[in-house]
Amino acid sequence: MQIDRQMTGEVVVLSLEGELDSRSAPQAQSEIAELVPQDGKIVLDLSGTTYLSSAGLRVMLLTYRQAREAGTRLVLAAVPADVLDVMSATGFLDFFTVSDTVQAGLGVLQR
Amino acid sequence: MTTDNQLDFTFSDLIAGYVVEHDPQRGSVRLRTSDGRTFTARLSETMSAEFLRNLGDPYLDASAHVPDLLTPGRHVFAYGVFSPPGNDFEVKRLVFLGRRPGEYNFEEPNWWVRQLDELAGFYRRAQFGDGPIDYADYRTTLRLGGDKTDVYVQETDTISRLIYGMASAYMLTGNEDYLDVAERGTGYLRDHMRFVDRDEGVTYWYHGIDVRGDAEHKLFTSEFGDDYDALPAYEQIYALVGPTQTYRVTGDPRIAADIDGTLRLFQRFFRDEHAGGYFSHIDPILLRPDHESLGPNRSRKNWNSIGDHAPAYLINLFLATGEQRHAAMLEETFDLICEHFPQQGSPFVQERFHADWSPDRAWGWQQDRAVVGHNLKIAWNLTRMNAIRPKQAYTELADRLARSMPDLGSDRQRGGWYDVLQRCLVGEENRHRFVWHDRKAWWQQEQAILAYLVLAGHTGDQDFLRHAREAESFYNAFFLDHDEGGVYFNVLASGIPYLLGTERLKGSHSMSMYHAAELCFLAAVYGRLLIRGEPLTLWFRPSPDGFPDRVLRVAPDVLPPGRVKLDRVEVDGRPYAGFDPDAMSVKLPDSTEPLTVQAHLAPARD
Repeated sequence: MQIDRQMTGEVVVLSLEGELDSRSAPQAQSEIAELVPQDGKIVLDLSGTTYLSSAGLRVMLLTYRQAREAGTRLVLAAVPADVLDVMSATGFLDFFTVSDTVQAGLGVLQR
Repeated sequence: MTTDNQLDFTFSDLIAGYVVEHDPQRGSVRLRTSDGRTFTARLSETMSAEFLRNLGDPYLDASAHVPDLLTPGRHVFAYGVFSPPGNDFEVKRLVFLGRRPGEYNFEEPNWWVRQLDELAGFYRRAQFGDGPIDYADYRTTLRLGGDKTDVYVQETDTISRLIYGMASAYMLTGNEDYLDVAERGTGYLRDHMRFVDRDEGVTYWYHGIDVRGDAEHKLFTSEFGDDYDALPAYEQIYALVGPTQTYRVTGDPRIAADIDGTLRLFQRFFRDEHAGGYFSHIDPILLRPDHESLGPNRSRKNWNSIGDHAPAYLINLFLATGEQRHAAMLEETFDLICEHFPQQGSPFVQERFHADWSPDRAWGWQQDRAVVGHNLKIAWNLTRMNAIRPKQAYTELADRLARSMPDLGSDRQRGGWYDVLQRCLVGEENRHRFVWHDRKAWWQQEQAILAYLVLAGHTGDQDFLRHAREAESFYNAFFLDHDEGGVYFNVLASGIPYLLGTERLKGSHSMSMYHAAELCFLAAVYGRLLIRGEPLTLWFRPSPDGFPDRVLRVAPDVLPPGRVKLDRVEVDGRPYAGFDPDAMSVKLPDSTEPLTVQAHLAPARD
């Protein structure tokens, strides 16, 4: 799992590339934790996420919790269909605001 | 000298007592309470008199027989009015508990079986009507008459408790519709409420789902105030209640797999490897008991996380499987109870602890307060445990709690058992104060009944039997809702139903057929097999792929060794010889269809 950080205006865009499973989750969690801003805005771009295990689901939830505690608005963007299915089936998707594309996600955060 | 608080006004109340003498000339009866105090009651011309009746039975008028019924030794309830001066008591309602002194209607062999049948019918109709069983229609919240509300939540634990009730009802009655409710419910939990974590190799259960609209909204963490945003142990424990009881009946390997997955959850994430026992909560993301987000639930242990495994599912799992690993887990939990729960300074057990077992007396609503029913539950389950792995510590603590609780936690005037009391006396106090009220809850009556029945059954102690009968009397006289069905959540101290707020409901986070059904099932087992020496038939429906080695275990509960045997077996209505009477097990024939097994149990003759 590779995490790439970019700024689009005031919004932090984190792109997660690869598989988020029990092997990669601890490192990913640690990196994401350092990148979530305080009172900010963040888009998690999952377009490159090829697999999400239950450990990965928990990384998502942890990020959600951390963002909430930091007063930061969080959007999931471009979630692949099979990852979306897993998140939806487990109910984890309900925690998030989801947009089809990163651009759409940026638009949500600008409102 | 103050003249405040003079009781110079009338008030209604209840006396539970045994007839000492009846004076027809004066129209009065003298009663002795459970703790030996006497009252003289005037019999009113306008009083009603009735016999105790079961759910589904018509009102049984006794008014024409009152003079014949008021014989010495008879146990009665007298509801009436105290009036000044001198606290004159005029009876307005008499309840006779049996036809003859020393007889109790609830000791009729099929009393508890019929009651469970009525309960199952009530909840079946309330949740699914008379038609097909579709759990999409299930609702946790049910009104007094069983109607649903506009609350769309389906809690995992309440579904599981309903499943338990229905599986138990099948075991006692053989009514396959009840088993159908149980099996479909188990499947619904599996399909909608279960999370299989393949990374960690464990199974855990959602708190519930909200089914408003077209899509279901899963409630991952607890929505209940005490446990908000955490995974409490007790919710995972009670998710297993119904499926485990169903597993006893069918042996469905899918249920076994889910139980094992949840046991791995307990062992890997709730267990305290250093100080022993199980933590009460873990955080939902990292599955850690020490996460700071847990707040006052962080690194804590409580009665639920230590002691509730046994009655909720673990004893039933041991009964179904005979596996020693379950006996070992039971032994560990009861050893911890004996070691840590009794504390100096209070006759009631301590229920909440920090990780190192130091008492937590500052937690939420509990503070330094006793739940009477938990003390009784410990006595009841220690006695059961002693039948699996006998230990002096188990019987000593059970005996000490059982002998002390009547004076501390029961109402010696009116009958029944109280709710939550202060654990310690303050200053010159001579009774433990009520924390919130003096109402009596249905589930706490159950703990008393089962504790004293099982102790009477194991020991033959007549004092225990008397306390069991007094508790059974109060419960059956005042908790059965003859108008709407089901049982009342709470009654006032005097036995009048309390019907306000959530305590009005027949279905809620707290009530869902589990305690009322468990009471019926085990009161029948203990009363018939252990106390009165009567046979009992249980029904099972093993599936074609059910039970490893095709061995069906039919012991009704963990009983004193050698007291009960399997007398006869029928498979699909025909006598079957392949069983072990002492082990109470049946070697099932191979089959491509589910089998119907009737296990006829009887007291073992010397």
